[in-house]
This record gives sequence, structure tokens and C-alpha cells, in this order.
Amino acid sequence: MSYTLIPRRTRILLTTMLAGLLLSGCGVNNIPTYDESAKARWSDVQNQYQRRADLIPNLVETVKGYAAQEREVLTQVTEARAKASQIKVDASTVTDPAKFKEYQDAQSALTGALGRLLVTVERYPDLKSNQNFLALQSQLEGTENRISVARRDYIESVRAYNTELKTFPGLIWASTLYRSYKPMETFTVAEDLAKPPTVKF
Amino acid sequence: MFFQFRTAWGRAILGVLLCVAAFAAYALTFPELTGRVVDDAGVLDPSTKAALERKLAEFETKTTGQLVVVTLKSLQGTSIEDYGYQLGRHWQIGQKEKNTGALLIVAPNERKVRIEVGYGFEGTLTDAVSRLIIENSIIPRFRANDFAGGVGRGVDDIIQAVSVDSEEWKARAKQRPDDQPGLVDVLALVFFLFIVFMIVRSVAGQGRGYAQTGAGSRRGARGPIFIPIPGSWGSSGSSWSGGGGFSGGGGSFGGGGASGSW
Repeated sequence: MSYTLIPRRTRILLTTMLAGLLLSGCGVNNIPTYDESAKARWSDVQNQYQRRADLIPNLVETVKGYAAQEREVLTQVTEARAKASQIKVDASTVTDPAKFKEYQDAQSALTGALGRLLVTVERYPDLKSNQNFLALQSQLEGTENRISVARRDYIESVRAYNTELKTFPGLIWASTLYRSYKPMETFTVAEDLAKPPTVKF
Repeated sequence: MFFQFRTAWGRAILGVLLCVAAFAAYALTFPELTGRVVDDAGVLDPSTKAALERKLAEFETKTTGQLVVVTLKSLQGTSIEDYGYQLGRHWQIGQKEKNTGALLIVAPNERKVRIEVGYGFEGTLTDAVSRLIIENSIIPRFRANDFAGGVGRGVDDIIQAVSVDSEEWKARAKQRPDDQPGLVDVLALVFFLFIVFMIVRSVAGQGRGYAQTGAGSRRGARGPIFIPIPGSWGSSGSSWSGGGGFSGGGGSFGGGGASGSW
């Protein structure tokens, strides 16, 4: 036999290096990678919701200028926005089911209130043709679209992460190296369907 | 026994491929990026297309940003917003990292038009500006069935909106990190190959002995070494393809822009 061609120690070393290479291809790094990716997508979602919240005061003021009597709808929007802004969200919200649901519900409520406001605006042709309002309205539509895209990206990244936790070989790593990594929450309300109606010209 | 194993594997792989093919049928299909003007719906005449190509190529040379005009035969049942950002991501319009890309999408059969703006252009080509361009320059001409005019004027307006900061971009473009694989990538590759070489040498060293002794089963276990290729190397490939043609620069889209219908 030719075992003596390669000394035992070298063979062990080479086998170890090979094992290391194979392991790195076996997905031991997947869980943290997917975790980081999902958290990045989550902060994108938050940014877009924040962007929407920032547009609202201006929108309310503009509408008040033409339709001050629609006090109820305007108050609803302002209150919904305040409620949504009060909820403190950060990276840890994604693994906290109660917190996540609270945030999701608050944002859905705001979407609903905005929808009602835009329906009300239909009755005021002067307001509808106001340049300021048109600019705000297009910004709002753009932001709603961005929210939609960000949510979809987030849902997809959470899906990848949760799947990795549950399937082989991620399952092995999850129960050994990554015991502190919990599955993430995903959006349940189909906000795409609850999009506020757009004003037709 | 080994032969049976291979057959079972083959069948399993075939099954997976068929499933994937079935799923693929439900996904959106995108036209090929044949150039900066992709007239899938056939509403633009050749001279318009040539003029647009020139304008858009000039824009890219000056600012490294990528603008693409595309007309679609069908939106395949989705909204133009939904289709738009996916198309932008599929083609990867815009420079990587900076995401300086924009699409002018026209769907004549659904009578929808959209300006899809990449992250990098959102500062100047805002949603409001996109909306104004669509309402004032594009839709009136589309209503009069003047697609060439509408698209041409729309492109001019977009270039104008976006060129506000072109000097800034030129400066940034010079500082743009090289698309070639970095030094770290090259070193990693060399190190990796060295390890592979050492392993192969050790296996080959024993192989010579095996041929003499005929211990075939041992060889089979060590046979094909499955080498995992790190995924990051795939990304540097996109900038090498093209060879004279136009290809996306690796940019992404987030859903910014505006739509309109006529």
C-alpha cells in the first residue's frame, strides 16, 4: 500500500481543510445571512412607512384649505398617523408577534383613513386641481407603491429565513449553533388590496 | 449499486426540473433587453427608435445613468406598477450600488404608461416630477395617437429632470469602484486553487498506488470532489458580458416613479 506516500499528519490536515470547504458550501452561514437580509428589508419597510407619515401633515393642511368642513375625516387621518408613530419599532419587532401585529394594524388603519380622505376629496374639484395637492397626491401614490414593494421584498426574505430554519441542513445549524435565532413575523393583511383609491383625472 | 443510485438521483432531478418549469410558467415574462429602446408592442417607427437610441446612449456616456424605453404587448394581468419594478430589477438597469436607472414603460393595449425610477434618481426625478411629465408631455400626445412624439418628448423631459446633477455624477463616476474583481477576490481564488491542488496531489499520489493494487472501491468514495463556488463571484460577471451591446449595469428599483393612463 502507498499510504506512506503522504504522511498521516498531512492527510489529516488536508482532510480537515476539505471538510471546512465542504461545510462552508453546506449552508452553515445561511441563517445569519438570511437574518441580516431580512432585517435590512424590514428597515426598508419602516423607512417607507415613515416617509408616508411625513407626507401626511402637509396633506391634511392642503385639504383643510379647501374642505375644512370635512373635519371628521381629517381628524381620523391625523389620529391614525399619531397612533402609528407612537409604536416603537426596531429590528427586534420582527421576532415579536404581538408587537408586529400592533404595528401592522396601526399602519392598516392609517391606510384606511387615507383612503377615506381621498374619496372625500373627490367632491371638491378646486382641491383636485390644486397644484400643491396634485404634487402631494403623486408623492403619496409613489410612497404607497414603495411600501408595497418593500413589503414584498420583506415577505420574501422572511420566507427564505424561516424556511432555512425549518429545513435540512439549516435545521441542524439552528438547533446547535444558532439556538437564539427565532422565526420572523410576516405581513398577514394584504395591504396591496387595501390601497387607497387614486383620484382619476 | 452505484448505478441504481445514479438513476434514482437522475429521476429526482428530472422531477424537480419539471416542477420548476411548471412554476416558471406562472411567473411574469420579460422582453429581452435588445437595446436602449425595446419596442415589443411595435408602436415606434425605425427612425424614432434610432433617434431615441442615440439620445439615450449619449445620456449614459455623459452621466453613467441608464435610461431605457420599453413598449409592452401585454402587462400579463398585473398592474403596471407591479410589472415595472420587476422589469427594472430583471434587466438591472442603472449602475450597481448607485441604482441610477429609469424606465419609460408604455403598455398601449392596456393604455397605461409609467416612469419607473431607480433609487439613485429619486432625488431629482421625483414622483411629482414624473407625474407632471406623464400628464403634461406624454398623455396628451398619446391621446392623439402620437406615440413617437409622446415618447420622444417624455425622454427629453426625463433627461432634463435628471441632468440637474450631471456634473456631480461625473465626479462620482470617476470615484466609482472598479467593476473588475478586487484584489481580495483574486487572492481568495489563488488560495482556494492552491488548496485544491494540494488535495488533488494527495489523491493522485495514492491513485498511482491503487492502480497497482486494484483497490477500486476506495477510489470511488474519494472520487468527484464537490467544490462549492462562493456566490459572490457571480456578481462581477455581469459587467463583462455585452461586448459592444447594451446591458444592465446591475442597478435595482424600489417602486418609485409615477403612472398614468389615457
